[in-house]
Amino acid sequence: MGSAGVQPLPEPAGGEPAVPPSSSASDRSGPSLWAWVGSPLALIPLVLVAAVATVLVVASGLHNFGGTFWGILYNFVPGDPGGSSWGIGAYVVGTALTAGLALLLATALSLALSISIVVYLPTVASRILAILTNLLAGIPSVVYGIWGFVILAPFFGLTLEPSMRDAIGWLPGFGGPASAIGSWGILLAVFLLTIMIIPLTTALMREALRSVPHDLVEAGLALGATRWEVARRVRMRSARLGIWSAILLGFGRAVGESVAVAMVIGAVPRLPESLYSPSTSLASFIFYQLDSAFYYPDLLKFLVEVALVLLLISLAANVLAQRLTRTEIATATTVGAAGGLETQ
Amino acid sequence: MTGPAGAGGPALAPRNELVDSSGRLRRRLLFDRAIGWALPLAFVAVLFPLFDMLYWISTRALPTFTWATLTENQVGTGGGLYPMILGTLVLIALGTALSTGIGLVAGFYTSEYAPAPVARVARIAGNLLAGVPAIVLGYFGYFLLVLYTHWGFTALAGGITLGIFMTPYVYRTADVALSNVPPSQREAALAMGSRRDQYLVRIAFPIALPTILTGIFFAMALGLGEAAPILFTAGFSSTPITSLMQPTGFLSGAVWLFYDFPSTYGSFLGLAFQAAFLSVVIVLALNVAVQLFSDRYRERLRGLYQ
Repeated sequence: MGSAGVQPLPEPAGGEPAVPPSSSASDRSGPSLWAWVGSPLALIPLVLVAAVATVLVVASGLHNFGGTFWGILYNFVPGDPGGSSWGIGAYVVGTALTAGLALLLATALSLALSISIVVYLPTVASRILAILTNLLAGIPSVVYGIWGFVILAPFFGLTLEPSMRDAIGWLPGFGGPASAIGSWGILLAVFLLTIMIIPLTTALMREALRSVPHDLVEAGLALGATRWEVARRVRMRSARLGIWSAILLGFGRAVGESVAVAMVIGAVPRLPESLYSPSTSLASFIFYQLDSAFYYPDLLKFLVEVALVLLLISLAANVLAQRLTRTEIATATTVGAAGGLETQ
Repeated sequence: MTGPAGAGGPALAPRNELVDSSGRLRRRLLFDRAIGWALPLAFVAVLFPLFDMLYWISTRALPTFTWATLTENQVGTGGGLYPMILGTLVLIALGTALSTGIGLVAGFYTSEYAPAPVARVARIAGNLLAGVPAIVLGYFGYFLLVLYTHWGFTALAGGITLGIFMTPYVYRTADVALSNVPPSQREAALAMGSRRDQYLVRIAFPIALPTILTGIFFAMALGLGEAAPILFTAGFSSTPITSLMQPTGFLSGAVWLFYDFPSTYGSFLGLAFQAAFLSVVIVLALNVAVQLFSDRYRERLRGLYQ
């Protein structure tokens, strides 16, 4: 088979095919249009991340809120910035509680889901389930929010929370009084956040467990380990960095979720007494307060600083996750479900 | 009793042969089987909420859903959602155009041309941008596109912010999909004398297309659902827009603005549910469309390449 290329090729037709291992041989056509247009475009994300940080720093002016910024007390008195207390402590606690608990639940469930998909379920079943969990990832957060606010809240307040109080009320946090403002509170936010981040964490963990080298898995099976033992001691151990990375990214997603949380958490900037108390979170706070801040420059500056804190938290989680593994982060949900052609 | 198991057997020994050898083994195998039944139960914990949500959203939206919901303006606490549907379509169109333009070309570049250090930085930055909370992007858009430009709240500002939000998803999917094309395809193309841009456009892109489209549709679904960044850049309006320099209503914004009115406030809550229902329908349609397309397309590709 002589090469029938239009352009003359230097290689003799009968010898080694000599496919150039580097791409340099194809540069004879000169730099391509894609390279010219693409190189500035590929840097846009970098520029944007830097621009977001810069704009927030400039807009807040790194205003000094009297050293009380990390304090618990938040009390905004319109028209009297001096008499207001600017503390984000209650928001940090609310964020840590909601995102942390949601992450715990989502981690446990995602591990179960990803091990089922990778180890136990037949391909057809896992494909159907992948489509359904993808759907879960695509449903707008306002839809989660209105479902939680209207449909779930009565169930939580009248059925779930009383029975939890009866059953495990002796656990710290589970025995407190019901939410004073209705059924909206931390527990409901945790529930919504859990199912909202599960698609992401499951897709990432599934890819991590799946990319464990086959020889390790087969060696385990050949030694007589059961599928579960291989999953637990070989796959999970070998994929632990990927699993941690998934957890960190889930955390970033949970911390950054604003709308759904704002709809169900009750928006009360106090330290919660129990899991049933209303609370608030950094992201939901800067979401539902922004339109009042249009009228109060001090409040706006405060909100922008909170947004900056939020940006730093999510960037830190993201950088850490990227250091742990090379898992494709933004796209795991889509690419994982669609499956590369080469896997078919 | 133990039979010939082991000696020269395949790496994956048939387990049934081993079952009789000891009680401990039987216990381990039973445990394995039990776990195999127990773990998938976690799907109930995920799929039950999904179906419950779909059920309730449709139950609350459909009884009052009429043709007028799609075609009429919102008047007071009643009327339809036409301005929000129009606004959603305009915003998504702007966001998709912007993010696909940037993301695709940047993906082409990163997967094929970029020197390794540049590609590394660009990929990390793309993932970082995907990790920036939507509400923070909303603040960014508000200061840059609403205040700094003196535009005020405009559909254009909303579309641009949405485009920024969607870009990393399109970009990263395009890059991953193009990079995942089997190297043999690339080597064959280059060996046949094709240029790199010819390889990219004629060989790699068609192979990667289903995945790229999934990424774009997924970004559209995410963008459609994000109320936070749009509300603070496009504002909200109950009348249909006639130009991009006006504030515009959109479906997820309607849900957020109407959801917590008690039923004494006319049909605000009904409108909120209808807007939620419409968003879900659009997301479902996007999902089904991309699934159908990629299945068909893969069938065709399989015929071509294998």
